[in-house]
Amino acid sequence: MEDFFLHRPAWYVIGVSIGFVVLGLLATINQRIGVLGGYSNLLERATDRTPSLGWKAFFLFGVLGGSLVFRLLAGHSTVHNGYGWLTRTFHDHQTIVVGAFLLGAGTLIGFGAKLAGGCTSGNGLGACSAGSPAGFTATGTFIAVGIGASFVIKGLIS
Amino acid sequence: MRVKLAALGFGAAFGFLISWGQFTDPDRIRQMLLLEDPYLYLMMFSAIAVAFLGARVLRRRRVHALVTGELISQQAARPEPRHVAGAAIFGLGWAIADSCPAPIAGQLAQGVLWSLFTIAGVLLGILGYFRWQERSAKEPAREPEHVAGRLLGDEVPDPV
Repeated sequence: MEDFFLHRPAWYVIGVSIGFVVLGLLATINQRIGVLGGYSNLLERATDRTPSLGWKAFFLFGVLGGSLVFRLLAGHSTVHNGYGWLTRTFHDHQTIVVGAFLLGAGTLIGFGAKLAGGCTSGNGLGACSAGSPAGFTATGTFIAVGIGASFVIKGLIS
Repeated sequence: MRVKLAALGFGAAFGFLISWGQFTDPDRIRQMLLLEDPYLYLMMFSAIAVAFLGARVLRRRRVHALVTGELISQQAARPEPRHVAGAAIFGLGWAIADSCPAPIAGQLAQGVLWSLFTIAGVLLGILGYFRWQERSAKEPAREPEHVAGRLLGDEVPDPV
């Protein structure tokens, strides 16, 4: 069982299944998928900007639950030996430096996705599958910037 | 409550699938962004294709949502400067952390404690956005050339 889940299946197995998740949300509650909205909803509730948690927070709770079930079935996390290029690059004072990079990157992710009206799921999956020109524009932009910035980082650390 | 339960169920399926597809592994995202591995692009595009075609069928047949009973509808917004600016800022953060909101939730559930920093940052970014928006709303009407005011002024329904 553990081996089965430690190897990722063919891309079309996961891709088609995620497509049906996007479709399932639409077919049952008439909503567009989006994960950042869950964080946003939690923050709105914590700061009294909204009186109650909505479906987006519950979707985020589901993501946490589903990932936990995967972790229990697989027996291992999908993240091995530190945290990607950051812990491979910054050996000294690792927690402070890597933590600062992740905090800064997270701030860009949160602010940028709110401004753009979605993250990889909200714009990339939700808005694009709705045929939204704004979704295609945002998705094309974050993929292009992500690729460009990754090559710049690679150049700087090598 | 049925709406929240449906969201919880689909969220669980989504969390399981992104974990199994290793979308939660920052090295996989890095391979994707360095164009070394097409897996995540293919996965994403096939998901969009399935959902796009399925949604067209649902709309064309005027199907009502199973739980809410509403006629299924989708909004397609026009691109605005905020979509490009926001996505560029997001893309930079994505390339540094090699992760985004769904995978960091998956990492946390899998016990990857580094995700706590990223999640704290995401919450800070959202809070910053709220404060910026609230401050802009309190300010008196600006001249038309004021870019920030214009970006926030013609807000479309926010899917996030």
